[in-house]
Amino acid sequence: MNTVPLALYVAAGIAYSIHFWRRTGSSGRAATVALGAGALVHTFIIGMQTMQVGHVPLVGTTGAISAFVWLLALAYLYTEMTTGERAMGIFIAPLIVALQLIPALGNSVTARPPVLESHWFETHVSSLLVAYAAFALACVISVTYLLLFKELKRKHLGVFYARLPSLQILDRMNSRAVAIGWIFLTVGLAVGGVWLVQVGPAAADPRVQAMSLFDPKIFIVLLCWGGYTFELYARRAIGWGGRRSAWLSAIGFAILMLNFVPIGYFGTDSHNFY
Amino acid sequence: MHLFLLGASHHTAPVDLRERIDFARRSMADALAGIADLDGIAEVVVLSTCNRSEIYAVCDAPETARERLTAFLSAFHDVPEPELVPHLYGRTHGDVARHLFRVVAGLDSLVVGEPQIAGQVKEAFATASEWGFTGTSLNRLFHHAFTAGKRVRAETGLGEGAVSVSYAAISLARKIFGSLAGRRTLVVGAGEMAELTATHLRSQNVGRIGVANRTAAHAASLAAKVEGVAVPWASITEELTATDIVVTATGSANWTLTRGHVADAMRPRRDRPLFVIDIGLPRDVDPAASDVEQVFLYNIDDLQEIVRENLERRQAQVDEAEQMVREEVDGYMRWLRSRGSIPTVVALRQHFEQTRQAELDRLAPKLASLSPAARDRVDEVTRLLVERLLSSPTEQLKQAPDDESAAADADAINRLFGLRDQSVRRR
Repeated sequence: MNTVPLALYVAAGIAYSIHFWRRTGSSGRAATVALGAGALVHTFIIGMQTMQVGHVPLVGTTGAISAFVWLLALAYLYTEMTTGERAMGIFIAPLIVALQLIPALGNSVTARPPVLESHWFETHVSSLLVAYAAFALACVISVTYLLLFKELKRKHLGVFYARLPSLQILDRMNSRAVAIGWIFLTVGLAVGGVWLVQVGPAAADPRVQAMSLFDPKIFIVLLCWGGYTFELYARRAIGWGGRRSAWLSAIGFAILMLNFVPIGYFGTDSHNFY
Repeated sequence: MHLFLLGASHHTAPVDLRERIDFARRSMADALAGIADLDGIAEVVVLSTCNRSEIYAVCDAPETARERLTAFLSAFHDVPEPELVPHLYGRTHGDVARHLFRVVAGLDSLVVGEPQIAGQVKEAFATASEWGFTGTSLNRLFHHAFTAGKRVRAETGLGEGAVSVSYAAISLARKIFGSLAGRRTLVVGAGEMAELTATHLRSQNVGRIGVANRTAAHAASLAAKVEGVAVPWASITEELTATDIVVTATGSANWTLTRGHVADAMRPRRDRPLFVIDIGLPRDVDPAASDVEQVFLYNIDDLQEIVRENLERRQAQVDEAEQMVREEVDGYMRWLRSRGSIPTVVALRQHFEQTRQAELDRLAPKLASLSPAARDRVDEVTRLLVERLLSSPTEQLKQAPDDESAAADADAINRLFGLRDQSVRRR
């Protein structure tokens, strides 16, 4: 079922590419419509799965990735509608398509072990997914910032100069996306901690036993939290912004993605609920 | 009624003549009223810019319209006809549309794709329209031209990229800062170039403009002209710290701003960008200043190179834009032809309706035995039959591919159904 949104996301990606190079209004509108349709079908699928199993399918990395893609598509559509900028679609669509391949090829509904039957768990996962979506946007915005910055510095004004908004606007968008992502990341981590304290002593599940600061998934996400906290602090207190913030956002999300997909599947003893 | 255009532009007339026939020098209302009063002129729009003076008219006969408009131009601007005539061009019918569409798209401009012309044409049309000098023909022509111009600009890169040094600098500043409103600016130097750039920046609604010059009196004088503030030469580095855009145009033999100056100024600014425009010759700012984080340094050569690349890019879009203009002109001409076919369509429909009524009248005694409801049905059925029969020929008449086919179709219809004879008889 997840192949239908995948096909629509691919169509959106193609239309965003055409729009980026040819800048015709019709291709831009087609891209937005395809992405919107993909998100709509995706909503329907997640809704159906929720009704099928009686809970939001967030258990397991595949289900979480599907929900993350859906949130990312919505977050990007919101950004596009509020700023009127479609130039970043070409950067976000490949990420959406690549990640959606995972639920499209595998089963995104995993049986929920009793230990996860808690609102704390749902809040923990959904907060983190919203945070990841915000950080993904910040990453894409930052990459475009760096590309435009390079063109302006080298005085070779090319495709990005003609298509992207100004450096200051990109910088501001990055800063907002990181701030929103940080709030949700903090809430998600705190709620995860509360959940662990609640179930920890009594749980016999070895994955719960493995939850410690030294588990790679937990360690890396805390490291990223530290990185994003520093980015926000440095902007306010030291006046860091522009290129430095853009690099932090880009690297931060790259690490988060490594943590989310490869480590989520193969490198963790604590979060392997697939 | 025919479309007609008479005009002179930078392609045909030298600047001194263009100045003499510039309508902006005289009252536009008088010009429009004067032209509309001429015999055989039904609608008029006058377009007057520094590069062109053009009269768009709807007239009875293009040949006489040309004579009358030339005489009017000569008298209105007090330029003898023999002096004027060699520089004028006339266009009729489809060529008027083609010319106007090219003008609005910026294809006929001195700098291809320049954006101001579309606004100037809109203003000229609005003026004529407001005072009641336009009708259906010119309204449709100009609105179609605006649509065509918008399409060309949206779908090609014809209007993109700055094609003057000052505009290139402003575009760069916008790409760094977004809006320039309220941005703090420092102009170093008080010569002609500095004044020109400062005036340009002021028109962009920037914030405080500081002016620094080795001779304080010159700085004060320029500051007064551009509503800025004179800044002591010695405090340039402190001023830099609070500035977003710096323009240097001193022409001094040594670096006015060294890398050290810029690096010192940037330290307290952290990552707030600084855009330095060095238009001095020789250069005023050490190129090494460009290495400082968040400093964007462009000198006159960089800006000229941007302009050159943009002009080349625009030129590469011309063919595509011309093709779009051709398509739009075809669309407009189709509308014009469909309008031209209206008398034939009306005559044809009247002919069929009269025939239907005559037949119904003839059959009235036989139909009398029918109930009123059945008679109504007969009336309805015959009416629908006529509608169905005429639907295809009406569409075909309206969609003739060219003038020749339109005329041939109309002739054939007139001949086959004896419409001309009928209309002559009616008259």
